[in-house]
Order: sequence, then structure tokens, then C-alpha cells
Amino acid sequence: MVRFKNRYVLCEVVSEDPRCRQCIEDRALGLAVRDAITRVHGDYGLACCSISFTVKYLNAYTGTVLLRCRKDSYRLLCSALPFVRYLESRAQRYPCFLNTLHVGGTIRTCQKFLIQYNRTQLLRLLQNCTNEEERQCIQKSLLSCSLTEEQSQSGDEEEDDGTE
Amino acid sequence: QNILTVCFSVGYSVVALNHVIDFKEKKQEIIKPVSPSELFPSLPIVQGTSKRIKVLTRLTLIVSDPSHCNLLRSTSANIRLYDIIAVFPKTEKLFHIACTTLDVDLVCINVTEKLPFYFRRPPVNMAIDRGIYFELLYTPAIKDSTMRRYTISNAISLMQICKGKNIVISSAAERPLELRGPYDVANLGLLFGLSEGEAKAAVSTNCRATMLHGETRKSACGVVYTVKKPRKVEEEETVPACKKAKTQA
Repeated sequence: MVRFKNRYVLCEVVSEDPRCRQCIEDRALGLAVRDAITRVHGDYGLACCSISFTVKYLNAYTGTVLLRCRKDSYRLLCSALPFVRYLESRAQRYPCFLNTLHVGGTIRTCQKFLIQYNRTQLLRLLQNCTNEEERQCIQKSLLSCSLTEEQSQSGDEEEDDGTE
Repeated sequence: QNILTVCFSVGYSVVALNHVIDFKEKKQEIIKPVSPSELFPSLPIVQGTSKRIKVLTRLTLIVSDPSHCNLLRSTSANIRLYDIIAVFPKTEKLFHIACTTLDVDLVCINVTEKLPFYFRRPPVNMAIDRGIYFELLYTPAIKDSTMRRYTISNAISLMQICKGKNIVISSAAERPLELRGPYDVANLGLLFGLSEGEAKAAVSTNCRATMLHGETRKSACGVVYTVKKPRKVEEEETVPACKKAKTQA
């Protein structure tokens, strides 16, 4: 069967500045990644990777990003991701870096991985909790996260902890 | 200390703190390594497993003269306190000496300028037999474009000689934002000419072997690493990654 095969790369934006996360936009991130590809692989790399390149999903609270690219050029993309140094939005530069979590062939596999990953993150936060209320909140959200059959793009059903 | 926190959150399980000694100044004494317990009252737990994170100490000697190597032979008590010892040779002769006779765990390969010498096969093969690993840094590549060119050209020339064996990729990060996650570093290895399996090994198994080599050196004989095997299920102990970061002065 002839169809275009894509690769979905799941990344996390890690930054020291707490304001950076709230200002992540998909266009700014796309530009930053394209710029990194140009710097590393040149015009050829940029052209190869941008055939089917989009930012599919962006979660500003947890800094999770899902990028899509063609299967033939995902290596170029993955090898250029470590070179992203800052995000630029609204004339402000925020230094940050992208941490690749998972590369999958479909959005659903990436979703499953993200749920497991978020579960482990919540467990880690649970250990650092000082407040009893926060503990209860996190425990409740741990027990309730699951993959539902909704059609919407939001996918993972965890609670967002604003205290990141 | 910030760097270490970021390290742990990204997923590294063993980190080595580097202390660099340069021999250009006249008087250099090997100081005692900073004990990791001073930095962290209690080490946090690795993501995903239930073991604590290990912090090792490491010493790098920048040698440009054969007389500097005598320091390694002298039984200075402070050298024994470091877990891993690395040497950074500046000339061809020193590279040869480091690969063949010096008692070190790592040989650093310069990434910030064009190599003054070409690698030759005999010393590299001897180093591989002795269990010495070659180290490449990746943080200069992230910071600067000319450094990137030197890094890639030096790395590829090393690959052509050693065929991708015995490589360790590490960062010399001075700030927490110069660090990259283990998966990303393995992808960088692809840029340096490694195959995918070799690149992942460069971040995980080779680092672990370096650690064990350091322990061997300390104990002056072999090291037998035992793993508990429960009866029904076979468990493999894997250390996901090992990293080196510069201490904050």
C-alpha cells in the first residue's frame, strides 16, 4: 500500500526561566528547529526535513512538543535537535534546550509513551511534595490518568501541575 | 550544583565532576577532590529505577611535556582519591605515551582546534586492547560554529582509525543549559560518524566500562562485577548514561 510514512518525535522543552514555558508557541518552536537544521545540515537538510514538518502538539504547562517529519529525514531532524539553544517569541529570547523523549511512527504510540512518562514524572513530584494537599492532588491524578477514546487532540488525560 | 539537578532530571544515573589541571603554570598541586556529599545532602533517585544517583570525581591533566607525566607515577595521595583519571595530550609523542604506557582511563581528544597530529593505528589499537577510551566533548559544538567544524572533523578522523570502538561522548558543560539528554547525545554521535548502536554504547556501556576501569586502577587488580540474578526472570543491570560535567569553581 502506498502511503507516506511519518515519524513523530516527542520532545520536552527544558528551561531555567519559568516564564519560558508559558510563552512557547508552535510557530516560534518550528522556526527555532528549522534554524537549527539549517545551521547543522545546510540548505539540503532544511529542504529535506521540511517536506512534511509540523509541530503537531504543544503543551505549554509541561513543555511537551510533538514534531512530525518524513521517515526518510527523521535522522537529520533528530541529529539537529541538540543544537536548539533558545526560543524566540515576541522579541524575547529564552535560553532552553530540547530533550528528546521518544520517536514513534504514529501519534498513538507517542501518546502512550507520554502517558507513562507523565506518570513517572508525577511520582517523582510526589516525592518532593511538602504540602499534604498537593500530595492528595497528585495521588488523585495518578489514579485517574488513562488513555480515552476521545477524538480530540488533547490526548493525555493527566492533570497539569502548575507547580513545575 | 544547578547543573547536577538538571542532569538528574533529564535522566542520567551517574555523573562525574571534572577537575582540570593545566601545567602551564609553575606550581600546581593536586588538590583533594570535592566530596559529592558536600554538594547534595541526599542524592536524589534516578528516574525510572529505585537506585540513587552516583556522583564520581574525575581529574583531567593537560600535558604538553613528557615531564608532566611524572606526576601520574608519583604516589601522591590525592590522585588516588579521584575515581577516573583522564589525560589530554597535546603532541603526537604524548598521545603515543598515553595510549601505551600511562595509567589512565580516558584520553581526551581535542575538539576546539585543528589537531596538530594525525592519529596512527598502532597506538590506537594498543589503547583499545588496554581498555582505554577516547573522549569527545560536545558542548563546544553547541556553542560555536567554528568549534563545530573542528569537532566534527576531529571526530570523523578518529572514527576512521578506531572504527568507532572505545568512544565516550561527554559534555564540558559550564551552565545547566549546555547539557543535553542521553538520547540527544546518542544522536550527536551519529553526526560524528558512529553507527546507531555504537552511538548508544558511547553514552551507556562504554562509560560504565570506564568507571569499572577506574575502580580496577584503584584496587590494582581485576574487578568482578556481580549482578543478582533472580531465578525466574533474567534481569539485566543497565546504567543508562554516564556524564562528565565541569565543577563550578
